[in-house]
Amino acid sequence: MKELTISSDAPGQQLFALGNEAIARGAIEAGVQVAAAYPGTPSSEITETLAGVAKELDMYVEWSTNEKVAFEVALAASICGVRAMASMKHVGVNVAHDPLMTAGYIGAKGGLVLLSADDPWAWSSQNEQDNRYIAEQGYIPVLEPSSVQEAKDMMADAFKLSEQFGQLFMLRSVTRIGHARSDITLGEITRERRKGQFIKDRTRLVYTPREARINKPLMLERFEKIRKAVNTLPYNRLRLADGARLGIIACGLSYSYTLEAVKWLAMEDKVSILKIGTPNPLPEELVIKLLKSVKEVLVAEELDPFVELHVKAIAGEHNIPVKIHGKDLLPRIGELSTRKVTEAIAHLTRAKTPVDFASIDKLEQETAPILPWRPPALCPGCPHRASHYAIRVASRRVSRELGKDIEPIYPGDIGCYALGYNPPQEASDTIICMGGSFGIANGLAHVVDVPIVAHLGDSTFFHAGIPPLVNAVYNKANITMVILDNSTTSMTGFQPHPGTGYTAMGNETVMLKPEDIARACGVKFVEVVDPFDLKEATATIEKAIRFEGPAVVVSRRLCAIIEQREKKKRKEATVPYRVDPEKCNVKCNACIELLGCPALIKEGISTVIDGSLCTGCGLCAQVCPYQAIVPEKP
Amino acid sequence: MVKEFNILITGVGGQGVILISELLGRAAVTDKLRVRGSEILGMAVRGGSVTSAIRIGEDVYGPLIPTGKCNALVGMEPSEALRNIACLSKSSIVLVNTAITAPFTVFIGESKYPSLEEMLNQLGKASDRVIQLDAVKLAQEAGSRLATNVVMLGALFGTEQLPIKIETIKETIRERFPAKLAPVNIRAFDLGYETCRQAVK
Repeated sequence: MKELTISSDAPGQQLFALGNEAIARGAIEAGVQVAAAYPGTPSSEITETLAGVAKELDMYVEWSTNEKVAFEVALAASICGVRAMASMKHVGVNVAHDPLMTAGYIGAKGGLVLLSADDPWAWSSQNEQDNRYIAEQGYIPVLEPSSVQEAKDMMADAFKLSEQFGQLFMLRSVTRIGHARSDITLGEITRERRKGQFIKDRTRLVYTPREARINKPLMLERFEKIRKAVNTLPYNRLRLADGARLGIIACGLSYSYTLEAVKWLAMEDKVSILKIGTPNPLPEELVIKLLKSVKEVLVAEELDPFVELHVKAIAGEHNIPVKIHGKDLLPRIGELSTRKVTEAIAHLTRAKTPVDFASIDKLEQETAPILPWRPPALCPGCPHRASHYAIRVASRRVSRELGKDIEPIYPGDIGCYALGYNPPQEASDTIICMGGSFGIANGLAHVVDVPIVAHLGDSTFFHAGIPPLVNAVYNKANITMVILDNSTTSMTGFQPHPGTGYTAMGNETVMLKPEDIARACGVKFVEVVDPFDLKEATATIEKAIRFEGPAVVVSRRLCAIIEQREKKKRKEATVPYRVDPEKCNVKCNACIELLGCPALIKEGISTVIDGSLCTGCGLCAQVCPYQAIVPEKP
Repeated sequence: MVKEFNILITGVGGQGVILISELLGRAAVTDKLRVRGSEILGMAVRGGSVTSAIRIGEDVYGPLIPTGKCNALVGMEPSEALRNIACLSKSSIVLVNTAITAPFTVFIGESKYPSLEEMLNQLGKASDRVIQLDAVKLAQEAGSRLATNVVMLGALFGTEQLPIKIETIKETIRERFPAKLAPVNIRAFDLGYETCRQAVK
């Protein structure tokens, strides 16, 4: 039997899948023809999965330079009548916000779906923003799944709904959907492939004030039709319990927690539950039915009180005397859980919780102080470790001359190198958004008088680093911009980008060089260094800092993980380093304290190198004051 | 049909936590069981804490194990097992690989690594069924240190509590690994299985 995969045309068969694979499967079933994205946790696997089967299924899949471009690529396909999607993490939607706010006016011809992967608790993000508000602002209907299976089904349906109502749809995933795993039942795959056709339509596609005024009422009409239709969508379901005092409105994943909580409390017959799969717009008729049937309501949703506020408005509008709870009992911060919902229900029903949570909390609190701190660290052999070190040494050399209280500022950015904000690197003084390092550096240059050395990665540079670089040249910001070029988008899983020479679908393409772009943008100091040549890299960065005007240093070295993989393929041995105990001063500890490489460990008082982790980069050998670190014999 | 069986696998990036949860999930699907799960990888491929939940049964909806509802905790690293103490109850089975991986913060004096005794003692306050094994040693015995995670998987089945059939999980191991590596991993599984079964008795 042929092994079942994500592209198998095997309706009814069961597959164990990651949520993001299931979402990709939903799009495959719907016959998506164009998928564009910029990688971002927790969304990247969707487009990776699609890219892996693109040729086999006759789809076009691309990694775009950023989310704005990705959305525009999908929008264009939809305008031409082709089913299309753009996937991004929640903060990526901010980058795409500009076209998104007019896309609602345009409407959808080919089914158009925006996948927003929100990240409650900011597991791998800079904030916890709730993108249902963005959708509401743009009149974009939102589907929010309660499980991995539903995420797949919704994704497939989203394209049909988008075409049925002529409006783009958003699927709001969260970390515990995209990075959850579940058995899923496969559906049928649509084989239809449409030929894109651009029909000139000034009124619908050319946005001057006239067209905005013409299209807004049309958009509002479409949205009103959707508002009525969501009452009968299977994703919204009302289950009334006879004589129930309490009703729960559970949006998205919160529905799964609610089902478990109600069962745990043995209250299945005692509470009414309204499952919400479309937070924007809400199924008003179902909401009214529930509100009229109970005395109290608990709204369970992750992050902001989006559904709660709308439910309160509906209750007010229809004069329904019901007490509505939500964020008074459930947190705005972080993820919900079965426990949190259980406690809220127990509180409202004055029931005892099924488990003595207080005693568990006490034991956990008592345990916390004895646990070692295990922050994520840069990998062994990571070139960023060397770049961070070189930046620090070079910046200090310059600042020391300027005065003993002068501290250089290191604006940082989004990517693996952000892991260097922990000790011992402490390499970033600011991390705000993609490309923010260069942007913040621009502003700092006009208000403080210390060396400003900003860094970002190659993928981030192409994404959002070029406009602030141009700005620094134009507005004469005296800053140093270091591009940590490891030739991949490593943090999100090694996706290709405009500097790698190949595309999402594995086709060869041009290889853009950040140094060429910097020179073309008018930067007068542009140098390329190898961070593993620590002396040279440090000297060059020092020169860049001393240079009057904006300066760029490209610190180029392939990501250690990719390098190790490629070596393995070439059957090339890695020669790790070792510590010579004769030469090592056990009181020194410089290698560990300066670099914090996971391969450098202590056995008793001795420093040793874990040969199974060491990649042989030799960085520690370069910083050891006793020349005690040497390569193992190959 | 099983109602709810919750497994939490914990360890450090690079220890193969996710691989174990994938094997369990695939085997569960083969056995026609309902399965849910979720993982947190931290931010790095290597070095950070990793946890992965696998939940099997008819009454399971959410991807996370509710507080105190873990049936079996698989600790690839003792301090990472301890970090997840809140999921345990007195009847949870806790399997602890005794081989420690100290984070670099310990070597730069930013934090302390507790003694094994202290960690096991603390886990004992939460659960009456803490089982320790030197999985690294058993993996080396099986033929590769890299099979430590599969030793722990074997130990999990050695508790004889799992709703997945042993033949199914072994078949899943054979399918997942290249033919050359499968025998080592089956040996690792068997060693973990036997060691745990003896300990449970």
